[in-house]
Amino acid sequence: MEHQSPSHSSAPQPPPRKKRSLPGMPDPDAEVIALSPKTLLATNRFVCEICNKGFQRDQNLQLHRRGHNLPWKLRQRGSNEPRKKAYVCPEPSCVHHNPARALGDLTGIKKHFCRKHGVKKWQCERCSKKYAVHSDWKAHMKTCGTREYRCDCGTLFSRRDSFITHRAFCDVLAQESAMAQIQAQGATNSKAAAVVSSPPTPPLTPSVSPTLSIQSSEIPENPTKKLSPTSSNAMTNSGTSTVFASVLASAATATTSSQSPSSSTCSFSNLMSNLECPNATSLSLSTPLYLSTNNPPHYSTSNAPALSATALLQKAAQMGASNASLRRGLGLATSSSYQCVNISATTTPKWNDRVKQENQPQVDSLGLRLPCGSGGVTDVMMGPSTPFVGQPMTRDLLGLGMGGGASSTGGLSALLSSFGGNFESSSGEGGVHHL
Amino acid sequence: MESMFQEEGSSSVTSSPLQFFSMMSLSPSMGSPYPWHRELKSEERGLCLIHLLLTCANHVAAGSLENANTILEQISQLASPDGDTMQRIAAYFTEALADRILKTWPGLHRALNSTRIVMVSEEILVQKLFFEFFPFLKVAYILTNQAIVEAMEGEKMVHIIDLNAAEPAQWIALLQALSARPEGPPHLRITGVHQQKEVLDQMAHKLIEEAEKLDIPFQFNPVVSKLENLDFDKLRVKTGEALAISSILQLHSLLALDDDASRRKSPLLLKNSNATHLHKVLLMNQSTLGDLLEKDMVNGYSPSPDSASSSPASSTASMNSESFLNALWGLSPKVMVVTEQDSNHNGSTLMERLLEALYSYAALFDCLESTVSRASMERLKIEKMLFGEEIKNIIACEGAERKERHEKMDKWIQRLDLSGFGNVPVSYYAMLQARRFLQSYGCEGYRMREENGSVMICWQDRSLFSTTAWRSRK
Repeated sequence: MEHQSPSHSSAPQPPPRKKRSLPGMPDPDAEVIALSPKTLLATNRFVCEICNKGFQRDQNLQLHRRGHNLPWKLRQRGSNEPRKKAYVCPEPSCVHHNPARALGDLTGIKKHFCRKHGVKKWQCERCSKKYAVHSDWKAHMKTCGTREYRCDCGTLFSRRDSFITHRAFCDVLAQESAMAQIQAQGATNSKAAAVVSSPPTPPLTPSVSPTLSIQSSEIPENPTKKLSPTSSNAMTNSGTSTVFASVLASAATATTSSQSPSSSTCSFSNLMSNLECPNATSLSLSTPLYLSTNNPPHYSTSNAPALSATALLQKAAQMGASNASLRRGLGLATSSSYQCVNISATTTPKWNDRVKQENQPQVDSLGLRLPCGSGGVTDVMMGPSTPFVGQPMTRDLLGLGMGGGASSTGGLSALLSSFGGNFESSSGEGGVHHL
Repeated sequence: MESMFQEEGSSSVTSSPLQFFSMMSLSPSMGSPYPWHRELKSEERGLCLIHLLLTCANHVAAGSLENANTILEQISQLASPDGDTMQRIAAYFTEALADRILKTWPGLHRALNSTRIVMVSEEILVQKLFFEFFPFLKVAYILTNQAIVEAMEGEKMVHIIDLNAAEPAQWIALLQALSARPEGPPHLRITGVHQQKEVLDQMAHKLIEEAEKLDIPFQFNPVVSKLENLDFDKLRVKTGEALAISSILQLHSLLALDDDASRRKSPLLLKNSNATHLHKVLLMNQSTLGDLLEKDMVNGYSPSPDSASSSPASSTASMNSESFLNALWGLSPKVMVVTEQDSNHNGSTLMERLLEALYSYAALFDCLESTVSRASMERLKIEKMLFGEEIKNIIACEGAERKERHEKMDKWIQRLDLSGFGNVPVSYYAMLQARRFLQSYGCEGYRMREENGSVMICWQDRSLFSTTAWRSRK
């Protein structure tokens, strides 16, 4: 795409499109008009000068004037182009009372005045919500009760945006989506909906089914029906989020083969096509775009039998901590030497046997001049289970608290100290270098 | 090896400290080395490895090389870069310990490393892999970008300095976001700092392409430089322009410039002296460093009375972390977003660092174990070339060489505060986006939380990275 000058400020794609003024930032050339509340609310502002008949709209007035068969000269309303008009709100305390924040549309200012400063005359029967502007009320009646969003925690929402906001922070959802993630791994294309996954039994009320069909038009490829209505509208509200996430996710997808279906919303389809995203298809924005490539392929298959490294460290630390106290308790030698005994109740018998057998006789042939003191090795089988005394310590181990630098290593330090404090002082064999 | 075993005869069983250990080194028949290793279950082996590692580290710290050597032998039987998580971790930690031991023979060490070929392309690749295989950078980008967008509301000219311009995805996302602004995109200028020109060229190319598509007036200025040698003039910051700074995992290396032996700097003095004064204590002999460092040094700033007698600027007259931060402050950024590792790998003693690093890297290796197959070459590369190198740096290096001086975010908060920055709490909306991203990432081990205006990105309960946003207080 060629662009003339990079310094040219951004223009909308079809250049001669009339730019809509931004809300609250009126056209500086506009003529500011201040109407009194009475005039503003008057239903028939446009008055025929010939017969004084009032009309709600200027167009209607013009039509009426034709009927008067005016001579040509008088037919012209005004030679000049109607100047752009901006209207201020008559309410002095209002932001829009200031001409700098005037609104460019008469209908707009009328509605604004009614909404903010008027009496709410119209009420919805279903949800008893009140409206000052009749058209607002009509619009509400169309949607009230027709679309409902239910979060898994049970809360009901009628508005999509508040539903989405709630969901982002709902704890219940987080847990469930985690569960669903694991379950969803098996399914091939469940990624798309996995984000907002709720358990398959639709918590969405039956009234949502029309929603789903609406959704499906936006979301041509919706592999599962779990997809909650999180799509485009949310994205227009939170344009940036999608942008970031989608770009980041797609950037990641570029090099791998997983599919990251792109959105159908126009701006974002551009985004998707720009990034090297293979097989971009349409899908709701929120979910798949956040997906990065290497989304958990091996979720827990390899992990299931083995403890994670973090858990192992925790365990080691607990054993270190507990052993010290255990041994003291058992009246064994004080300089706590580490006893690896109770790895867990699930320790293989073989291991234990070995421990028993190889205990006494061969220890001393170890031959290492480890200066650590007593090894009360005798009592290998300490008992049914290691009392995991260090519960609080465990937590500290993981450095949960802020600035828990020291505490995070507490457990392992205990383990270390259980080796005996003699390490540091050892001078070892020859060739000692202080490191 | 055999002779070693026999020479030691402690008659009492109490001589062997480690039950484990003794079990380990024994076998019914002395001839076959540790056959029962094979029979160890993964968990037992893991626990074994932890203990061996700690023991070995103790020996290394104490200087008992012979003992350390023996244990290294033990560990090497069990550890493996292809094995399970703990085996991999142990492999890299032992390599680091071995490297540390080897450094006591500098000639030997140098000779062994003299023919190493540094493949820049591989290094660049591994950074890309880190971006792709973890959510950390992506979350950091989301938070950073959102903070920038918020700070730059209404600005027509925006200048962003990226202290490590390696990943175009971050700025592509920002370009998209800026083009969607209601008031239209600003004129955007990005100054990218990086050591490798090729990386900057690539970044420039991608960003310019994107900006053209979006019709955003855009300029990319590359600055090829190490951070510690950064010439701030090259950044070409104009007075009055809206400046944002993005620093992702960069600041900690500056701590290596600070002298280890004395971190006692008087913050007052620094501020009063217009941040130009460098406190330097003579660098101590590297080999005795470990013994001489005091514990409380790691606890950050403690204004000490004797630092009033500041030594004149050292002969090197180079940056230290404070002067760098002060210089950043001097640019008057509207917003600066800092992301750092949230672990203390900068302890003064080896053992401290090793223990802390064990936890952090255990978490990182767990991340990979949970999301990537063991056979994956990419995983291997990340573990070896990224984490392995970091571990080696943390364990085996000292002084100016030890660049991976990660610290908890609290410390950074203190430093930034001292340098005149005020914390900008993460906005609700930024958190929302980041959380949604993480939720959709699909791995429930990754978590986020917010505390005191900073965001921590965690694996399970362990906070690994943290992001904070700042503005310059006047």
